[in-house]
Amino acid sequence: MPEIDEIKPSSNLSRRVVPAVIIGVALVAVYITTSFAEMPPILKRGIQPADFPRLVAVAIILLTCLMAWRDPIEDHEPVPPATWKTIGLMVGFVLLLPLDMFLALGFFGAALMWLWGEKRPQRLAVIGLAAPAALFFVFDLAFRIRFPRGLLTNLWYG
Amino acid sequence: MSPLFAGLATLADPALIALLIAATLAGVLIGALPGLNATTGAALLLPFTLTMEPVAAIAILAAIYCSATFAGAITAILINTPGTSASATTCLDGYPMALRGEAGRALGLAVVASTLGGVFSVICLMIAAPLLARLAYNFSPPEYFALTLFGLSMLVSIGGGSPIKNLIAGAAGVLLATVGTDLLTSVKRFTFGYPELSDGIGFVPVMIGVFGISELLIQAGRISLERKTITMKAVKLPSKEDYRRVWKTILRSSGIGTFIGILPAEGATVASMIGYNEARRWSKTPQEFGKGAPEGIAASEAANNSATGGAMVPTLALGIPGSPTAAVILAGLLVHGLRPGPTMFTDQANFAFAIFWSMLLVNLMFLVIGLYGAKAFARVTLIPVQLLWPCVFMFSIVGAYALDQSLFDVYTALVAGIIGYFMRLYGFSVVPLAIGLLLGGILEQRLGQSMVMLDEKWWLIVTRPLSLLFLVFTALALFAAPLRALFQRLHPSQRNRSNTT
Repeated sequence: MPEIDEIKPSSNLSRRVVPAVIIGVALVAVYITTSFAEMPPILKRGIQPADFPRLVAVAIILLTCLMAWRDPIEDHEPVPPATWKTIGLMVGFVLLLPLDMFLALGFFGAALMWLWGEKRPQRLAVIGLAAPAALFFVFDLAFRIRFPRGLLTNLWYG
Repeated sequence: MSPLFAGLATLADPALIALLIAATLAGVLIGALPGLNATTGAALLLPFTLTMEPVAAIAILAAIYCSATFAGAITAILINTPGTSASATTCLDGYPMALRGEAGRALGLAVVASTLGGVFSVICLMIAAPLLARLAYNFSPPEYFALTLFGLSMLVSIGGGSPIKNLIAGAAGVLLATVGTDLLTSVKRFTFGYPELSDGIGFVPVMIGVFGISELLIQAGRISLERKTITMKAVKLPSKEDYRRVWKTILRSSGIGTFIGILPAEGATVASMIGYNEARRWSKTPQEFGKGAPEGIAASEAANNSATGGAMVPTLALGIPGSPTAAVILAGLLVHGLRPGPTMFTDQANFAFAIFWSMLLVNLMFLVIGLYGAKAFARVTLIPVQLLWPCVFMFSIVGAYALDQSLFDVYTALVAGIIGYFMRLYGFSVVPLAIGLLLGGILEQRLGQSMVMLDEKWWLIVTRPLSLLFLVFTALALFAAPLRALFQRLHPSQRNRSNTT
């Protein structure tokens, strides 16, 4: 086992927090399985509905304990700020989605380009306007996919 | 007409040929773009195939699989960045060869080795898949349960990460597969009152998320990376001297790649690593490896392309994916209402052979594309990431929506993408999660059927010879590495001797 002062903060995270989160989620899954309906023997098809997920969740808990005990400590890079910002843009995309899927896609595409350092208006227009429009017409006309109604799609659907 | 020729006749359709050419070009483009690979490409393009006939849809996915696996070599050789993980070993000799002004020769070797490896494996696929299916025709639920368990146990060796983490990710996938209405009892599980979850978590949105969106988040942290492309006048066919040097290597690596591909869950990446190591071990000049040895390029490329055909053997004959991309193809088969397994070679034999012929044709197509178009495809590496990844995101979202025309699937893809990103950050491969999700339902269903068949005495599974065999394989897959480590700890002299060797 390494000395305490050898363990870097990110190692501590992967060593303790990651297994704790996995075990926590698996325990919640086990708890939820207790609420599944029990089938009478005549209707049971070999196993109860709760048996299999419970078995898998317990296996996850055991494997996670083994991982925390046996796996070597790895140093992980922190999440880069650009990744956090990209996740933030995804949240913005989800918030815009009820207004119009292609409006949200155009916003996300252009904002992501801007965030990643592309500031030229022509290119921003290609990704923010032309790409979502092209995608919409390809799927609508060629693949006959009906998209959810919104501010922009209503212009086409009427 | 026999299925062999009926399948070939299917390819007489000019529209299908045109689609295959387009898919091969798309696959080469996908494979040449760093960050995108065959699995991501197939997952992103799967929704585009929804309205197509099953033969065209699956042939397109198979074409992307073959051509993207080959195209990873383009960036591996020219910018020392493997377009796909399967081409990582191609960098070792391809890039040094390119640095000394022989980029065209390196690409020529890669193209020829890829084609020969691919053709070899498709011929093996045509022979082995029907035989395996015939063997599996008599499987009962206990055999299928043990086989599926074996397939999942092979996840331990996926990628270069921790076997325990792979198993956790696989088990998490299996747990996700239990979401929805239990098919055996109609009891709702983990649905939290959402009607959209009654049918379970869709594997297509999850695959789009964990392969496509998580990669976008990975790329977000790499936008400042600059890549240098080596200029190249033309791709050259290998010389007679090159052929004389590499033909044995190509043959050996094709055999290794096909065998590794047939093993459940093991794909082109493992095949290329083993193919490369074996080529170095058998070489009279192992010291040249890593410095631009032609055998190194040939071994890596023949092995990774032959794994594609090999991986389709268990996918089609048993319904157990032979590789991560084969898992996406398996998802495609299920989405199109096809049942992979032994019955595919009795009820849908024409379809199966049409896929085999398509793969063979694609392998020949990328020989031409590789020789005449590699120079142009190398330029796609210059596409700015700021243009590429917003487009990938749009494809991902529209693709996730298109399957069931449900916004819930869009949210699923986004959540899967973010979870997939954090999994990868903390050393968990997302491939076991996807395969676990795909096989989890089958595993539970077969377990339930086995319990009914064996009168709820689960231990009787081991009394059936084939089930026992698969369970022994499962135990070997799970415990071989720890037992070897334990043996070496107890017998240090053995370890020293193996290290010396």
